[in-house]
Amino acid sequence: MTHTAETRDHVDAGRRALLPVFRRAVLDSWRSTLGWAAGLAAAVMLYLPLYPSIGTTQMMDVLDSMPPELIKALGYEQIGSGAGYTQATIFGLIGFALLTIAATTWSSAAIAGAEESGRLELMLGHAVSRVQYALESTLALVVRLAALIAFTMALILVINDSAQLELEPVNVLAASLAFLGLTVLTASVGLAVGAVSGRRAIATASAAGVAIAGYVMSAIGNQSADLEWLHRFSPYDWAYLNSPLTEGFDVGGLGLLFGLAAVVIGLAVVALDRRDVTG
Amino acid sequence: MTLAIQTSALSKSYGSVTAVHSLDLAVEQGTVFGLIGPNGAGKTTTLRMLLDIIRPSSGSATILGQSPRAGGAAQRRRIGFIPGELRLDGRVKGLALLRHYADISGPVAPGAIEALAERLNLDLTRPVRALSKGNRQKLGLIQAFMHRPELLVLDEPTSGLDPLIQREFLQMLREARDAGQTVLLSSHVLSEIQQSADQVAVLAAGRIVAEGDVASLRLHSVRRLRAGIAESDVATVRDRLSRLEHVRDLEIFEGATVRVLATVNGDIDELVKALANFRLTDLTVEEPDLEESVLDLYGRQEVAS
Repeated sequence: MTHTAETRDHVDAGRRALLPVFRRAVLDSWRSTLGWAAGLAAAVMLYLPLYPSIGTTQMMDVLDSMPPELIKALGYEQIGSGAGYTQATIFGLIGFALLTIAATTWSSAAIAGAEESGRLELMLGHAVSRVQYALESTLALVVRLAALIAFTMALILVINDSAQLELEPVNVLAASLAFLGLTVLTASVGLAVGAVSGRRAIATASAAGVAIAGYVMSAIGNQSADLEWLHRFSPYDWAYLNSPLTEGFDVGGLGLLFGLAAVVIGLAVVALDRRDVTG
Repeated sequence: MTLAIQTSALSKSYGSVTAVHSLDLAVEQGTVFGLIGPNGAGKTTTLRMLLDIIRPSSGSATILGQSPRAGGAAQRRRIGFIPGELRLDGRVKGLALLRHYADISGPVAPGAIEALAERLNLDLTRPVRALSKGNRQKLGLIQAFMHRPELLVLDEPTSGLDPLIQREFLQMLREARDAGQTVLLSSHVLSEIQQSADQVAVLAAGRIVAEGDVASLRLHSVRRLRAGIAESDVATVRDRLSRLEHVRDLEIFEGATVRVLATVNGDIDELVKALANFRLTDLTVEEPDLEESVLDLYGRQEVAS
């Protein structure tokens, strides 16, 4: 068979497809990606056009009647500004919730889900290394999350004027990047726990757990000066504590989010490369 | 003689349970090698170790000149593999799925996928999740054969296939061997291995209990036989059958006719000839039971040693 081996090498140079695992992951999930995009669009188009009515006395009466702890927990202190309103509704709440769910389900499916369904065994029987599989799966996740966030950002910028939000486009970019860092970190946890355990349920619980813990720590940290130290350990605060929608890029927070995500993804790659893959 | 696969003291344990125990296998290039044994004998574990899907606890394997771990993706490009529990799902259509694997492990000759699909009578335009188990298994066969790999590692490749397709598969194995490809296949169906393999290793409880070419293996088929005999009586039938060498567990009792139940260990010729002296109302001979055949072989070896 040596003659085939030679012709094969010759033919391969030109023909082998680029990033096959990545392309399959993106193609296979186009329906769910569209679904998430529709959800995000609905959130942006339902919430943000309401902003001009927030300034009315009626709305202020409603907010005044709410317990101050609730206002703090929801991050509504700044809700009287366009940036505060956008942060409190989209980046901090609905958008955050939607993309946390997307990041959690996609990341736990990428390795642990593929393993439980038997797809990973078949895939690894082909000419794919585990490192390549883990990295291309990660890339597919990051690209899908980035596309959804870019789409959200574009929608916000489109209705910025009509909803009188007065957002600086560069600050919207800064907040979007923080949002991406936050969801990528959540996804990295789902990938890594899936790579270590091979169990989809555990990966899902871990990724969602990290995202929810960050949110809860941030909400509790808002309550009093004594609890502010909680902000330091909350990924949610690494993304949003410095108000990127008004203050712009928070290099330290972004560095922490993306840096930690990179480390966790590195762990995922090493873990998958070292262990037995089971069905 | 070049070896496509060689393992030496290959072992795999899970905690205190040893799934594969110090396995020494040698598969010559260009041959069909059958690995048979009852379910749970360690066949799937062995094949997974050859593909680097799981790693041995001790011992080593050399596939196409390299260990599976060192050979990595480049080595697996030269292998076609069907997992033992092939599970495929999703909306993706058969053809798209195969092209995906062709992208990874190709190149695949133009038309090769379609030709195999036609041969196996598989509709590639249907979503994978809408396919029956047998049709998914055909997809498994195609993805293993389509890039004409030097080595085929097939774990229970015919499970779920109907007899016509099984026959086509055996033909594909012969063609692969004629083209110089090496095949390692596992099965728990004795007849399948007997029809296709040049060499056989019998695995039981993680160990090789017998090895050699199919004919010399003296692997006795253990068959169950049921018969109904008219115009005779229990004493006559017993007198005739109980002296036969290969018959055990003989039960003869009176019903509407004389009923005979027996286990035939190996050569069935004597019993059939003995039965031919009577007037038979029915006769059923069941497919050899591999598990019993292997246990029988195991038992004979223990007695011999």
